[in-house]
Amino acid sequence: MALRAAVLRHIQVPVQTLTATGSKPLPRWSLGASLRLFSSHDDHLTKEEVIDRVLDVVKSFPKVDPSKVTPDVHFQKDLGLDSLDNVEIVMALEEEFKLEIPDKEADNIDSCNLAIEYIYNHPMAG
Amino acid sequence: MATMGVAAPTRTEVLQLYRSLLRVARQFCDYNIREYTKRRTIDGFRDNKKLTDPSLLSAAFFDGKTQLEVAKRQAIVYSLYASKVKSIMDIKPS
Repeated sequence: MALRAAVLRHIQVPVQTLTATGSKPLPRWSLGASLRLFSSHDDHLTKEEVIDRVLDVVKSFPKVDPSKVTPDVHFQKDLGLDSLDNVEIVMALEEEFKLEIPDKEADNIDSCNLAIEYIYNHPMAG
Repeated sequence: MATMGVAAPTRTEVLQLYRSLLRVARQFCDYNIREYTKRRTIDGFRDNKKLTDPSLLSAAFFDGKTQLEVAKRQAIVYSLYASKVKSIMDIKPS
């Protein structure tokens, strides 16, 4: 059903694909090119990719023991870091995913879980 | 320099200053200055981590704020005279 709706949406009003897919412009009008069979956000990162990259960033932090890093590890409680290290890790994540995280939300990112959730839900994560 | 009436900075303010300094470090186009700014803020904040005396805290915080202003200006000045050749450290191995 969703597939049929997606197909209809693309056939009937191709002009609207500009807003539906956000920032990506679609100059091509051929049906095959504008047909997105499996998702409407295929340029968005997959969850596994986000998890992998976040864990890599945390593991490469010099004060962190890589063997302790799991997707639900807490920076201050499990890894023994302090709030300054927290800020540094969030900055490293900003650089990795080319994001600008506002201060208020960066203060809340306390664990790998929250970082992965935030980045996965951010539309501009690259 | 720090008057008696100045309240000690709150934890949030200190972390905000830390974050601002690291953000300004990213704006430098020269690799060396960028790394120096990052290193210096990390070391400076870590050295003063254990301070509890309010007047020392305000002095250190005020110092940090002044350095932030200096860094912001210098980031602009450096970008005016940026080198065309990128530092070898900035070139990612392909």
